[in-house]
This record gives sequence, structure tokens and C-alpha cells, in this order.
Amino acid sequence: MSVLARSVGNAFRNKVRTAAVVAVLAVAIGLALAMLVANQAVGAKVQELNASVGTVLTVNPAGGQGFEGGGEPLTADQAAAAAAVPNVSAVVGTSSLRLRNATEAAAQAAAGTQAGPGGQPGQGGGPGGQATATLTTSLTAAVDAGTLGNRNQQANGATGSSGSTGSTQPVRSLPITATGIGAQVDTTGKALNITGGSGLGDYSAASTNALLGTTLAQKNNLTVGSTFTINDQTYTVSGLFDAGTAFGNNAVYVTLPTAQALAGTPNELSSMIVTVNSMDNVASTKTALQTALGTDKADVTQGQNLQTAVSSLDSVKNISFIAFIAALGTAGLIILLIMVMLVRERRREIGVLKAIGAPNRTIGLQFVLEALVLAALGSAVGAAIASFASGGIASALISSNTTSAAATTGRGPGGAGGFPGGQGGPFGGASQLLNSVTASASPGVIAGGIAAVFGVAIIGALVPALLTARIRPIEVLRGE
Amino acid sequence: MIEVKNLVRTFNSGDRTIKPVNDVSFALEQGTLASIVGKSGSGKSTLLSLLGALDKPTSGDVVVNGVSLASMPDAKLTEYRRRDIGFVFQQFNLIPNLSAVDNVMLPLEFAGVRKAARLQRARELLEQVQLDPSKHERRINRLSGGEQQRVAIARALANEPKLILADEPTGNLDEQTGDHIIELLSSLSRDHNTTILVVTHDRALANKTDRRFRLQQGKLTEEPVRGRAAVAASA
Ligand SMILES: Nc1ncnc2c1ncn2[C@@H]1O[C@H](COP(=O)(O)OP(=O)(O)OP(=O)(O)O)[C@@H](O)[C@H]1O
Ligand SMILES: [Mg+2]
Repeated sequence: MSVLARSVGNAFRNKVRTAAVVAVLAVAIGLALAMLVANQAVGAKVQELNASVGTVLTVNPAGGQGFEGGGEPLTADQAAAAAAVPNVSAVVGTSSLRLRNATEAAAQAAAGTQAGPGGQPGQGGGPGGQATATLTTSLTAAVDAGTLGNRNQQANGATGSSGSTGSTQPVRSLPITATGIGAQVDTTGKALNITGGSGLGDYSAASTNALLGTTLAQKNNLTVGSTFTINDQTYTVSGLFDAGTAFGNNAVYVTLPTAQALAGTPNELSSMIVTVNSMDNVASTKTALQTALGTDKADVTQGQNLQTAVSSLDSVKNISFIAFIAALGTAGLIILLIMVMLVRERRREIGVLKAIGAPNRTIGLQFVLEALVLAALGSAVGAAIASFASGGIASALISSNTTSAAATTGRGPGGAGGFPGGQGGPFGGASQLLNSVTASASPGVIAGGIAAVFGVAIIGALVPALLTARIRPIEVLRGE
Repeated sequence: MIEVKNLVRTFNSGDRTIKPVNDVSFALEQGTLASIVGKSGSGKSTLLSLLGALDKPTSGDVVVNGVSLASMPDAKLTEYRRRDIGFVFQQFNLIPNLSAVDNVMLPLEFAGVRKAARLQRARELLEQVQLDPSKHERRINRLSGGEQQRVAIARALANEPKLILADEPTGNLDEQTGDHIIELLSSLSRDHNTTILVVTHDRALANKTDRRFRLQQGKLTEEPVRGRAAVAASA
């Protein structure tokens, strides 16, 4: 019979009471663990956001964006001006090109000519956008046009050429976006996730190397080392990347000078990706950057209203952390009170142990261990509760919080539904980010939480255990 | 050798003070078997608890082999109780949810005896007090009063103490078992040089002791031992 065996035995001495105590402890511990899981999940998301797009500002020509709108293109001088703004840690220029499959473009052009004069769809960029050029390529888009694609192209075609409207159009595939980049980042400033081969090396020099999205490469049966053409010029696939989305993977990246040369606009930039040195400086830098470049020349935007997302996530994180601490404290308090009760109840027995020569620390240890047995049982049941409840608790926390955040910005949550990832509602991006916070009970976090529970249990049991030291052996001669 | 010097223990009960132990002095040589008799409530258990370092005297001192208990810190007193004292409580004071053998093993555990050795010694002791082996693993609260009493005696003997303080060790036993316990105690004092002080109402036990004391109104008086005196006279 060791101290541990005695503690375990004592923990089960009064089974009904043990069951009741474990049930109450399990609720507190389960709540604590669920809060911890929620906290970790949200914390990880916040960190991810801050680490990637959180500090990124996008500069577009005033009045234009992507292949839409108009205005004057950005220049290398403006990139230099942006780099000189305080707290800007990096400026990456991009140059966007629209690639069409050569055979399809030819077929379409033929159809256009047949339909009537003046119709030259697909040439001259079609959409009256910014400095973008449409070029031909041997690649076929990895995404089928579908309803959305056809609708978009029809709309674009209408602005580009009146001649082709009304005529039967051949089945079209989507254009492929080729982007010239000044660093190994995608158009949102996130580092490219290279899944095969290597990067483009020197991004400030023209080269015939290109990075292909995984699905695009697959569609065209290309691997690292394969070749394809843009405007009859041969390019080699030096690497594959995974952007994580079907749209993002239907893309080609080349170096900035290459794209500028292809477009015939050596000094122009489609956009600039400006990285700010810290999350705290994003707002001020955005203003400074806007001032430096001029409102009539450039639009400075922050990707997907991340600040709103991050700040509302941050408050969820804080709430869940406070709730974790509170639930943990409750568990500790429950243990403290139970142990105080047990020590009082077993005064006489403690007296007996002392009378036959048990050192104080042996008795104290016995009570701490007994508390830990209760905490272990409570943790086991609590962890089960947490693994069922944490997902629900996390999403409840997030949805209640974002509703209030949406209300403060004066926009209904309805705006979030329609345009995911778009520039529209301030919550389009945010709600998407929030939805992607999945509170899964990872074993590491649960283990950490249980370690904290044990720490609190030891602290809670220590006070009663120390009280036993004050019980005198003469208690054995007194009645209950 | 245990010397008791002007020992006083007072209790405040309500408005008056009671003195169950009032200026008690005596000395026992090592290996003596002595008994204390006295009316119920005369203070016998109180005196025993002072000798066993369970309680602290209001004044006076107990000196064990030249070491004064009054000047000992609590940790040392715990060690004294563990190593040198075997206490048989009037109410047994066994741990109710442990088995007989576990109860006997407790003092051995506190003394740092290894587990296998503990179990063996506990079983030997329970056999010495004639507890049926089938009852060794039985929980204390499922044993009769007499069986519990014998477990309490076995526990007191566990660490081979130099001094055994036994409060009514035969109170709950039949004559035959009682005689066996008396024989066990006197053989310990004879063969192991253990000093044994028993509080008893049992004539048979009192008659077998080397020295006999009576506690009356807080005062301890020694009664002449007829048997031994006769032996001494005849020698
Ligand atoms: N903690 C206490 N507070 C007040 N009075 C006490 C306390 N402990 C003992 N007494 C009193 O001291 C007296 C002696 O008690 P003690 O238990 O020593 O008697 P005893 O001789 O062992 O009696 P018995 O033969 O019935 O066991 C009794 O009158 C008792 O009421
Ligand atoms: Mg008594």
C-alpha cells in the first residue's frame, strides 16, 4: 500500500460524492478546455492573417483594378516613391497579362470576322482596362468557362467590340492570367507555395522561365522542364505552385521584366504589393502611401478588410482566453473547497496517521494526490465534453461577435453572402476568414490544457494539504 | 529508560479547570512491564498521550533515554512516535477503509521499509496476535471489536518500538485471547527488553506486571506488587 494507492482508494471512498465532484469538475474543465481550443484556433488564424496578407497593401492605378476600370498605369518611379514611405518593408511590382489559347482565339476571330465588320473580339484587350495586353499561348485554361465565364466574357465583349454581339459565339475557354512579379509572391502578396521544381531565380531579370499553377500544368500535361509558348515564344516550366484555389491555380507567373516585355510596356506596373513592417503600422502607412502617390494616380487598398477581421478575431481570442482562465479558476476553486471539506472530515484519521508517525509531507502528498485523482477523472470526462462542445462554442463565439462587429460598421451581415473575396462588402472577406476558423481539439492543446488543470489542482489542493500539517496527533483521542 | 518529571496537564472545561494529570513523576527501567489502573475519567489516557508525544504537557517533562520531549521540535516528535513508540489506542483508531494487513503496514511504510518486507512483517504480526489469516485482507470496518483490537496491537508492534503504550489492550477480548495478548506483551518485555506501560481494568493483566500504578485525582501512586514482592522476599 503506497501513498498513491491510498490516495486512489480514498478518492473512491464515497462513490456518490466522488461521482458528483467529478461531474462538476468535468463541466468546469470541459469548459476550460473548449475555451482553450477556441482560443488557440482563433489565435492561430490571427497569426496566419498577420503573417501573410495582414500587413500587405495593394496599390492599383487610380480608377482601375485587375482587368477592370481605367486610368493611367503605375510606373517604376511610383514604385520607388512607395518604397521610400516610412514603415514600408517591401514593394513588389506586378504586371498582368491575359493569355488566350491561340487556336481558340483564331477560331473566335474568324467567327467575329464572319459576323460582320469591325468585330475584332479578343484583340486590343477587349475590356477597356488598364495596361493589360491579351496575348496568345499554347496553354489551355484549367477552368471551364461555365455559365459565369460565358456571362463575364459576353459582358466584356460588349465593351470591346460591338460587332460580335448577337452572333453565335464559339464555346470559349477562360483566359489565363499571367502575372509578372518582382518577388516570389502571388498577387495578394502571399509567398508562393512552390510544390515542384524551383522558383524563377532572379525576379528582376527577364527570363524564359515560368511558374505554373498545379491544375493548369495538369490540364496541359506539363511538368517541371516542359515548354509552352506565349506569343510564339517558348517558355520553360521551372516550377509548379499551389495557390489553394482553382482560380488561383489557373495562372502563370513570370518575372516582372518578362511580362513587361511581353506587354510592350517596359516601365509600367499593373499593381504594386506593398508590405508594411508591422500590423500596427498598416493604417498609418496606408495613408502615407496614398499621400505619397497621389489620390489621382493610385488607389491604395488593404486586402479584404483584414483589420476588421483581425480585430474581431482578436476580441474573440480575448474573450475565450478570459473564459478559459475563469473556468480554470472555477475548477481550482471546486478542488480547493472539496479538499478543505475532506480534510475537515478526516481530521481524526489524519491525527491517527500522525500518531503512528506519518511525516507531514506524506499526509500532504496523500491529499494532493487524492485531488489529482479527482482532477484526472474530471479531465477525462471534461476532455470528452470539450471535444464535442469546442466546435460549437467557437462558432457561437465568432458568430455572435461578428454580428456585433458588422452592426458597428453599419452594414448588415447580408452583405457578406454574395461576393466572397470581392471588394464589395467590408465583411465579404472577413466572414470568409471567420468561417475558416475551425476549432478542432488538437491533442497538443488538450494536453496543455490538462497540464494547466493539474497545475491548478495542485495549487487548489496545496492549501488544504498544508492545513493537515496543523492538525495535531491528539485529535485521535477526540470524538468526531 | 523513561523518566517522567512533574508532569501536569490541565483542561479548561467551561468555567473550571480540570487536572487529570497533576504533578506526576515516575521512572521506568528499560524492559519493565508496568500497569496503570484508575477510575474511568481519572486521566489514564491523558497521561499515556503525554508519554507518547501525542499531546504536550501544560508543564513538566518526559525524558526518554536522556532526551527531553519538551525541547523536541515537532518533526523530531513525529520521528519519536514512529521509531520508539507503539501506541495501542483505547478506540483502536485504525484506518477504516484499509485492510487489516494494510493498517499494520502503515507504520512500516512511514519508516521506509520495502514493500515485500512490509507485507511479510505485517502478516507475521497478525499471526502473533492470533488474527485468522482469512481476515488479514478484510477491511477494518468489517472486523469485530476484538479483532480490531488485535490489529491495533499488531500495528503498535510493527516498528519494534522500545516503548509500548497500550490503553486497555485486552478490554474487548475474551479471557483466552486476552491471556495470549498478556503473554505476548510480557514476552516482549522479557525477551526484547521492551518497556511496556498498559492501562487496564483487567485484574489478570495487572497481576502479571512488574510494577503497578494507580492514578487518582491526578496523582500517581505506586502499589506494592505482591507477586514480585513475595518473590523478592523469598529470594
Ligand atoms: N480535550 C479535553 N478537554 C476537556 N477535558 C478533557 C479533554 N480530554 C480529556 N478530558 C477530561 O479529562 C479527564 C480524563 O480523561 P481520560 O480520557 O484521560 O480518562 P481515562 O482515565 O482514560 O478514562 P477511561 O478509563 O474512561 O478511558 C476526563 O474527565 C475527561 O473528561
Ligand atoms: Mg481512557
